[in-house]
Amino acid sequence: MPKLTAEIQLRTSPHLHTPRSVEMIMRHVVYAMLPLCAFGIYVFGISVVALLAVAVAACLATEHLCCHLAGRASSINDWSAVITGILLALTLPPGFPLWMTAVGGFVSIALGKMLFGGLGMNVFNPALVGRAFLQASFPVAITGYTPALSASRFTEFIPTTLTFPFLQPPSLTAWITAARVDSFAGATALMQQKFDRVTVELLPLFLGYESGSAGETSAILILLCGAYLAARKFLDWRIPVAMLGSAALAGQAFHLLNPAVYPNGAFVLGSGGLMLGAVFMATDMVSSPTTPLGVWIYGALMGLITVIIRFLGGLPEGVMYSILLGNAVAPLIDNITQPAIYGARKKAKVTA
Amino acid sequence: MPHDHGQPAPSPAENMEAFLDGLWKQNPVFVQVLGTCPTLAITNSVSNAVAMGLATLFVLVCSNALVSAVRKLVPKQVRIATYILIIATFVTIVDYLIKAISVAVYKALGPFIALIVVNCIILGRAEAYASKNPVGKSILDGLGMGIGFFIALFSLGSVREILGAGTFLGFPLFGPNYQPWVLFLLPPGGFFTLAIWLMVFAAWKDRKKRREVKTMAEAA
Amino acid sequence: MSAANLPQPAASDSVRMIRLMGSVSLICGLLIVGTHIGTMEPIRRNQEFITKETVSALLPGVDKQAVYSLVNGDLQPGAQPNVPVLYAGFDKQGALIGVVIETSERGYADTIKAMYAYSPDLQAITGFQVMELKETPGLGDKITKDPAFLDNFKKLDVTAGPDGKPAHPVVTVKHGTKKNPWEVDAISGATISSRAVGRMLAKSTATMLPLVRKNLDRIRKGN
Repeated sequence: MPKLTAEIQLRTSPHLHTPRSVEMIMRHVVYAMLPLCAFGIYVFGISVVALLAVAVAACLATEHLCCHLAGRASSINDWSAVITGILLALTLPPGFPLWMTAVGGFVSIALGKMLFGGLGMNVFNPALVGRAFLQASFPVAITGYTPALSASRFTEFIPTTLTFPFLQPPSLTAWITAARVDSFAGATALMQQKFDRVTVELLPLFLGYESGSAGETSAILILLCGAYLAARKFLDWRIPVAMLGSAALAGQAFHLLNPAVYPNGAFVLGSGGLMLGAVFMATDMVSSPTTPLGVWIYGALMGLITVIIRFLGGLPEGVMYSILLGNAVAPLIDNITQPAIYGARKKAKVTA
Repeated sequence: MPHDHGQPAPSPAENMEAFLDGLWKQNPVFVQVLGTCPTLAITNSVSNAVAMGLATLFVLVCSNALVSAVRKLVPKQVRIATYILIIATFVTIVDYLIKAISVAVYKALGPFIALIVVNCIILGRAEAYASKNPVGKSILDGLGMGIGFFIALFSLGSVREILGAGTFLGFPLFGPNYQPWVLFLLPPGGFFTLAIWLMVFAAWKDRKKRREVKTMAEAA
Repeated sequence: MSAANLPQPAASDSVRMIRLMGSVSLICGLLIVGTHIGTMEPIRRNQEFITKETVSALLPGVDKQAVYSLVNGDLQPGAQPNVPVLYAGFDKQGALIGVVIETSERGYADTIKAMYAYSPDLQAITGFQVMELKETPGLGDKITKDPAFLDNFKKLDVTAGPDGKPAHPVVTVKHGTKKNPWEVDAISGATISSRAVGRMLAKSTATMLPLVRKNLDRIRKGN
């Protein structure tokens, strides 16, 4: 059989000439995440630089390796592995051991993406598959949060960052005491709220000067970057709006029922990874539904599950699992929200 | 791969084959992918895997022997009911025996001892082999399949315990600073480990087949 | 396809079937009964051994044990199924050392079952041991063996208030912030499991301790 050359391309209609390609969209998403990376580095220091570099490198290397094993052309040039790497790094604690980060990058791409057939075939958001693997494997390391804006953040690594491969990270207690900025207790705003009923102030929460994962702290910055992508139509604005809206409403409802135990809707929006998840992960084009109504259902479902896990479950944060669950039901949502074909009528019930 | 169903005139070579088939070529877990429920659930440590493997081996050998002994008497219509009765008997016996030997092992295996009765390997061998072959060969088949199952559980249990806890049969392997991969002790770890082993087997078989095709082509 | 199309067994076939099933059942029944009788004694010994070991570990110096069951809000001697059971431990002179009470609570993954020792003289919990749990290995399961955590239960205050319940319910506090004798210092990184332990003790002491106090004279006499 003669080999097909690139000159003849067989495509189905509509034959629109558009400058948009997968590679270009992905590149713009990466641009939109760069401010978040920069802010993460500003707040947590050089450990985040290493974290980002290792995650992206691991993702690219795994993608290249998988393509090589499958005997096809390497697909690392489409930027999608870079997005996965950055997203993974942004959801991890700043001082997460680098060897574990590399494991996470490998799992994200190999298990979350390439096993399904590569870009466009994955059922779940690859970065979240990697993070779920890390959370289940190393539950202690992944809750090793450090304070924001420590004085020495640009001159030294957080001690856990440079843990030797396959060994346990050292205890952070002594280092945190030495680098202490305020009365930091090794907990994120969510953990403090859940376990000690201490609600932090909202303004620093939204600005992002709070302890947390490397890139999920600044709600406002995430919204701005998301707004850029939405304006350029690189993401579907309905998904974050539906997810944030339903999370805030559900949170507020719980708050009104029992204000002593449950925080209000604004806290729900500003804390944890909800913003990052809603804007950059739930909107993953491959693993979200395609119908307009389906997109609203999908977003609202994820927001609700997030609040249920946060308030009623055992874990302080539920964004990761809610998005993975949302991904899992996305094909089903697509199926039940198919628009009626123009001119077609619903079949009348057959009566005997 | 066809079985030698049938003519009861076993030669030593045939007996050997009945035994070896289950061990490797027809391995119940890695090749037939049967009995995955206990394979996934009970392999989070080597000791649990060993206990489960031995219990299943015992039930498999005993039920194969008894099914084969009564094979000419059982009418076709009630054969499955009879087989299940026989299997359930030996499972109950194993249940008592384990409880008598060690309560700790009994607690670790939990409901999965009783569930040996629905392990499809056992009914499968009764129906496909023991009901058509003499007692001696059926026992050998039970031994082969049982040991094959044992090997599979042992391989999964080893990988999961070594990675997930850094120990083998409770002895630490890598020193106190080893970071255990907790995931491998949890249920998803069972799926991952089974998938890895199946992948290894598939790759091995694929390679062998390709080599056979190559030698055949060269011969022709 | 209807049943009529299937080959119908003749009457003699039915008799043969019943006879065959009957004899196979008989053989199987005999096998089971034989094993049951043979293993009854070791099984009973095994189970008794485990409870006895736990009670002696929780109440050091125990020589004799008595078992009580809680039936309809009343203590009855002897172990009964499906009701809370408590064990009284006596020393060589026959004086009561303390009682051991079973309790359970939902942890991070499934129910945690445990036993704790209560000393009526000290009005305190003097020991705690987990019997069954499925908490995350290497994290939540630290509640079974972490020495610093188990130190909480060497003398955990449950002094009775006016209504017979502990005046200060047992409560788990964040790691490193224990101030009062009725607080449990949580394990850092295993907050959820540590809190489950606090809750199970608070619940169990609120219902069981008033009962123990009410029946203390009976228990002391050992009947």
